Amino acid sequence: MALAADMAPDAARLKWRRRGNHAAIFLGLLALWQGGSSAGLLDPLFFPAPLDILASFWRIYVSQGNVWYHLYVSLSLVLAGFTAGSILGVGLGAVVGMNATVRRFLQPYVIVLEATPRIAVAPLLIAALGFGPQSKIAIIMLVCFFAPFINTLSGVINVNRDRMELMRSLGASKMQMLRKLVLPDAIPVIMAGERLAMTSALSGVLVAEFIQRDQGIGALILTYTRNLNMASAFACILTLTAIGFLIFKGMEMVDHHVAYWKNETGMKRMTEKRARVWAGRRGGVAHA
Amino acid sequence: MRDASFGAAYWAGRIAPHLVIFAALITLWEVAVAQGWITSIMIPRPSKIGVAIANLYVIKGTIWEHFFITLGEAVFGFLIGAAVAILLALFSSLSERFERYVSPYAVVLNVTPGIALTPLIIAWFGYGMGSKIALAAVICFFPIFVNTLTGLRQMDPDREELFRSLGATERQVFFKARVPAALPLMFAGMKIGLTTALIGAVVAEFAQATAGVGVLMARASFALDMAGSLAALLSMTLMGLLLFYGMELLDDRVVFWRREARMSAVSRAKARAWMARRGQRDEKKNMGGETT
Repeated sequence: MALAADMAPDAARLKWRRRGNHAAIFLGLLALWQGGSSAGLLDPLFFPAPLDILASFWRIYVSQGNVWYHLYVSLSLVLAGFTAGSILGVGLGAVVGMNATVRRFLQPYVIVLEATPRIAVAPLLIAALGFGPQSKIAIIMLVCFFAPFINTLSGVINVNRDRMELMRSLGASKMQMLRKLVLPDAIPVIMAGERLAMTSALSGVLVAEFIQRDQGIGALILTYTRNLNMASAFACILTLTAIGFLIFKGMEMVDHHVAYWKNETGMKRMTEKRARVWAGRRGGVAHA
Repeated sequence: MRDASFGAAYWAGRIAPHLVIFAALITLWEVAVAQGWITSIMIPRPSKIGVAIANLYVIKGTIWEHFFITLGEAVFGFLIGAAVAILLALFSSLSERFERYVSPYAVVLNVTPGIALTPLIIAWFGYGMGSKIALAAVICFFPIFVNTLTGLRQMDPDREELFRSLGATERQVFFKARVPAALPLMFAGMKIGLTTALIGAVVAEFAQATAGVGVLMARASFALDMAGSLAALLSMTLMGLLLFYGMELLDDRVVFWRREARMSAVSRAKARAWMARRGQRDEKKNMGGETT
C-alpha cells in the first residue's frame, strides 16, 4: 500500500516530464523551422514559416473568417453521405450475410468492387448526376458504403455457430437471433467498418471538391495552392487534421458506448444502469 | 488425369450458375436501357461499354500507355512509402524512446486525410509522375507502419523464453522469431497499402496530370462519354486486382507456413535440398574412402 502510494507520484512525474520533453522537441523543431525560413534557407513554397501559418489561421478564422462557410458545406455533406451510406451498408450487409446463397452469388461482385479504387468513381458520378451537392453526396455515400458493408458481412458470417445452435434449439425466431446474437456479436467489427467509413468520407468530400471546384474546404485548399498561398493551404490542412482527430476520438467514444462489453468501464456503467432499472421495476411491483 | 477432369467438372458446376446470373443481369441491363427504362446518359448500355473497352484495349490501344504509367506511379509510391514505414517500424520496435518521440507525428499524419495534401504535393512536385508517386507514398505509409509495428510487438513470450534458454543472441531472437512472427500482419498492411497507393495515384491524376488512367477517365466523363469512363474505371479495377493478387502471391511465397499446401511444398523442397547435400557429402566420403 505504502509502496503503491510512493510509486504513483513517480509515475505521474515521469509522465509529465515526458510530456515536457515532447513539447520541448516540438517547439524546438518549430523554432528551427521558423529560423530556417527567416534566414531564407527554407523555400517558402515547401515550408511556409510557422508564424505565417499562424497568421493565416488568424486570417481564415477571424479577420477574414472565410473558412467557416466552406467547413460547414463540406462537413454537412460528409454527415449526410456518411449517414446514408453506412446505414445502407450495414443494413444490406446484415441481410446478405444471413443468407448463404445470396452471399455466394454476390461474392465475386464484392471482390471486384473491393479492388476498384472507390474514389475513382467520382468523375463518373459527377458526370452522371451533374454539378451540385447531389453528386458530392453520392460520392461520399458510395465511399462510405463499402467498409460497413464488408465488415457487417464478415461479422455476420463469423458468428459463433455453437451459440446459434443453442438459440435455435431454445426456439428463438430469426429476428431474435439477429437482434440478440448476430448483431451484438458483429458490432465490434461493424464499428471498425464505420470508423474506416468516416475517415474515407472525409477523403471522399475532398476528392469531390477537387474535381468540382465550387465550394467546400477542398476547393479552398485548391484555390490557395493555385495562388501559391502555401501558409493558408497549410492552415486548412491542419484544420482537417484537427477534424480528423475529433472524428477519430468521437468514433472511439461511440464504439465504447455501443460495444460496451468490450471495455471495463463501459461494462460497469451498463451493469449499474441495468441494476438500477431492475431495482426500480421491482420496487414498482412491490408497491402495487 | 481422372482427378483433373473431375476437378474441371466440379469447377464448371460451381462457376456456371455465376456465369448464368451474370449474363442474365447484363441482358436485363441492356434491355432496360434499350427500352428507355434507364436513361442511357447516366448508365450506358453494356454493349456500348464493351465497344468502349474494345476500343480502348484493341482498336485504338490508347489504354496501354496510361495503364502502365498509373501502375508505375502506384508501385513506385508504394515501394517508397513501404520502405519508410517498415524502417520506422523497425526502429520503433527496437527502441522504446524512438517510438515515443516518433509515434505522435505518425498519428498526426494518420488523422490528416492524405488526400487533402494533393494540391500541395502537386505544387511541390509538379504535374508529372513525381507528384503522383509522392501522394501514393504518403497515403500508403500509415497502414504499413502500424501493422509492422504491431506485428513486431506481439511476440509470444513463451517463444522468446525458449529462444533465450536455447542461448539465442539478441539478433537471432529478432531475425528468427520476431520478424517471422510479424510477417503475416506486415503483409496484411502492405495489401491495404498497395490499394491505397493506387487510390493516391489516381486522385493525383484527377487533380492535375497529363497521362494516366485517371486522366483518361476524367476526360471521358467530362465529354459525357460514360461508356469510355466506365471502361477506364474497369481498367482501374483490373489494376487493383493485379496488384492485390500480386501481393497475395508474394504473401504466399514469403509467409509459406501459414498455408498447408505451401508449407508441405516448402518442407519437401527443403528436405530434397538437404538430402541432395547429404548425398553429395556421402559421395565425397565414399570417394575419399575408395582413394585411401
